[in-house]
Amino acid sequence: MKFADFISPEAIRAELTADDKEGVIREMVQALLEAGRIRQDQVESIVRAILNREELGSTGIGRGVAVPHTKHASVADLVGAVGVSSEGVDFNSLDGERVFVFFLLISPPDRPGDHLRALENISRQLRNDTFCRFLRQSRTAEEIRQLLDEVDNNQLLP
Amino acid sequence: MDQRKQSRTVRVDNRAGLHARAALLIAKLAREHEVALAVVKDSQAAEASNMIQVLSLGARQGDELVLEASGPRAEEALDALERLFAERFHEEDEDGKSPG
Repeated sequence: MKFADFISPEAIRAELTADDKEGVIREMVQALLEAGRIRQDQVESIVRAILNREELGSTGIGRGVAVPHTKHASVADLVGAVGVSSEGVDFNSLDGERVFVFFLLISPPDRPGDHLRALENISRQLRNDTFCRFLRQSRTAEEIRQLLDEVDNNQLLP
Repeated sequence: MDQRKQSRTVRVDNRAGLHARAALLIAKLAREHEVALAVVKDSQAAEASNMIQVLSLGARQGDELVLEASGPRAEEALDALERLFAERFHEEDEDGKSPG
């Protein structure tokens, strides 16, 4: 699975302004709404579901990255957003570090396989130091779009 | 003290595979036991304490994995990790709420 298969190019935010977990999740869900990937009347329910999932254990997976997510019946396909916060946010990550890069995923309830493949793809790329550094240093959505594109096409050197 | 590497083979039984919460439980267990613990799929090895490495294995339901540990608490850590797999990461407790 490639980033292009689940990240909406219109739901990429290089300058997240929120300074806490709930705020960042709201900003990114809003990005998916503006990208036309989710419905307005589902926004609150999706935000609640993602926050409830975080209660079970933080999705801060290390290297300054988190993957907040939920299943939600209102989506027919896996949808994803990417956000970068230059200040970083406390996300209760296991390693105790602040989170600067977010991949937010919403998947249809009966398709755990797609969700797992998206996590696998994100994690594989995060093992590349260059990718992590460039992503975190991105200051425009266009820079992030290009970076994801390069990774999808194996053009990024390790 | 036995420094030899010990290993166990386990199967991923939970429906969602090794998702984020499973990786978190594995990482917490590895950190609690302060032991060098690895999860191996095919020939790819992941440090159990590293969620990104574990998630990058992309282990799905039915996949067989080898758990490896060395050090004085290896046996104990492997027992605990094996139990976590057998208990399916407590996934059934919250079925329908989250993919993990």
